[in-house]
Amino acid sequence: MIAVELRKLFRRPRTWVTIGLLNALPVLVAVLLAVTDLAPRPGEGPVFLSAVLTNGTLYPLAALAIVLPLFLPIAVALIAGDSVAGEAQSGTLRYLLARPAGRTRLLVAKLLSVFAFVLVTVVVVAAVGYLVGQLLFDVQPIGATIGGAGGTTGLSGTTLTPADIVGRTLLAIGYVTVSMLGVAAFALFFSTLTDSPLVAMLGALGILVASSLLFTLDAASSIAPYLPTRYWLAFVDFFRVPILWRDVVRGLALQGVYVAVLLGAAWANFTTKDVTS
Amino acid sequence: MAGRRSGAAARWAAVLGVVAVLVALPSLVAALPASEAGTSAPDLRRAAVASADVAFTGYAQSAGGLSLPVGDQLTAVANLLSDRTTMRAWYRGPADWRVDVVSPTGETGVHADAGGTWTWNYETATATRTAPSPLALPTASDLLPSALGRRLLSEAADDELSRLGAERVAGRDALGLRLVPADQASSVARVDVWVDADSGVPLRVQVFGKDAAGAGAEAALDTAFLDLELTTPSAEVTAFDVPPGAHVRKGEDAGLVQAASRAGRDGDRIVLPAGLTGLARRTIDGAPRGVGVYGRGITLLAVSAVPRRVASGLHDALVTAPGAVVDDLGVRISAGPLGLMLVDGPEGRMLLAGTVSLDALAAAATELTGGQS
Repeated sequence: MIAVELRKLFRRPRTWVTIGLLNALPVLVAVLLAVTDLAPRPGEGPVFLSAVLTNGTLYPLAALAIVLPLFLPIAVALIAGDSVAGEAQSGTLRYLLARPAGRTRLLVAKLLSVFAFVLVTVVVVAAVGYLVGQLLFDVQPIGATIGGAGGTTGLSGTTLTPADIVGRTLLAIGYVTVSMLGVAAFALFFSTLTDSPLVAMLGALGILVASSLLFTLDAASSIAPYLPTRYWLAFVDFFRVPILWRDVVRGLALQGVYVAVLLGAAWANFTTKDVTS
Repeated sequence: MAGRRSGAAARWAAVLGVVAVLVALPSLVAALPASEAGTSAPDLRRAAVASADVAFTGYAQSAGGLSLPVGDQLTAVANLLSDRTTMRAWYRGPADWRVDVVSPTGETGVHADAGGTWTWNYETATATRTAPSPLALPTASDLLPSALGRRLLSEAADDELSRLGAERVAGRDALGLRLVPADQASSVARVDVWVDADSGVPLRVQVFGKDAAGAGAEAALDTAFLDLELTTPSAEVTAFDVPPGAHVRKGEDAGLVQAASRAGRDGDRIVLPAGLTGLARRTIDGAPRGVGVYGRGITLLAVSAVPRRVASGLHDALVTAPGAVVDDLGVRISAGPLGLMLVDGPEGRMLLAGTVSLDALAAAATELTGGQS
């Protein structure tokens, strides 16, 4: 059943159109930067963007930072919100459940296909960022360490070798993927509550907008550690020396709790729901 | 149908039970009792002051509620005292440590060695070498609970101290120590320091001004470790090599300190008295002539000559600040326990700053300008 769901998801043109659109913004930003040579001042704009003109190796991270606040969650909420509610809306949910597989297995299959979508999306954004960075910006050649010419200066003023950058970029990709699982879990839960994919998607986005807003309020600082978007930007901490694990670990644990609770709620709701469409 | 309903109820009960446990977990952890030790207040102070050799690795946050209306002159200091600052610290000894101020998109690290400090700023790609100076404006590393706690307790008298209970700070047992300054002129109501029971390292420091000292009042400055490990960090972590491509600068004293030394060099016009508003002058080797520091412990008043050019910008910022007192003596304001005054003296403008009340500032200004008010 999992294979069926995966095939269904990745055979749909809509999935690839979403991923394509998601990559359009980082590519546009890269082209504009390369043409105008005007990088944002350090400390302004998405993280790492100020450094890419001199070092294209960092563009996968800049690309992730560009799509992370809004576009990536929208794409994830769109697909995850559609997973159950979309079947209900098109009237196919009944038939899916008529198979002997059971509702819990269907939910798990939907869940895994959404997670696969999140991973593929993040990896594609990073890969397109890598290609764009190599093509449009100056790149420090790998292995050119003689005289200290190679490597990239990390946030702490320590020189990171190209191998360091690759390893830490992979960690960051993994972390961003996990950060998006919370969004996926919200959308999947709402998707079991309603028959409208749009409502499920907007519900998940509403939670994220509220979370981002509360995070900026000093008055809400007591609940800030529990907001789903609180630790999203912690992937930057992989580029400090030594790596600052504190927020990364908290971010992973928080996403784990959200995913577990929301999937539990989705399961409690879906397995006993009256399916009429 | 009834079976399905009861199944649903059981499933939802299981989910809600898990949620309840998860929600209660943070408050349960916070409610873990701290174990009290029968250390007396003077002993606890001695342990804290003697902890300068304890190596540690930590993560700390400081929150200041002091908005200093000082214009462009002291932006860095004003930000430090009004914002939330997140710091990572590696401490091997008094002359070998590193403190990074972490921001979401960058960081500023200070690496100290025997010959001074290197300050690395990622966002400007600048490495600044600064030699030790007898007088320097506060930086983030001074706000680390260990450094601030030792400094504030260093000159406290035994009769100013009392014990508070025990609390858990950074997951460790911390013993409370309260310092109530005896000086009349002081604008600080009290300082609460939470000292690690095992090592004596101050883990949390809260400074309360006299303007907001009641129960439940917000601290004017609150700095605490959130994580602390008493392990010696490796020398590699605290060392600093200028990265290729970085701009290298030589650190300079802040504009105001430079201005004060210039004003002092101009001649012997400025003669600072041996005492001001009941506070005795301190001797600081190597300090510019035009700068005097008065007081003891946490009641301190700095007096500095300021050239007219530098003073006018500061004056404009101060007079427009809410709550500013403008009279014949000059203009004075307070921000929590911090008092700031620009005095129109016969020999030019003088800046008074410190942890003293507005009345004490006015009295000091009267003494400085020769008694006419």
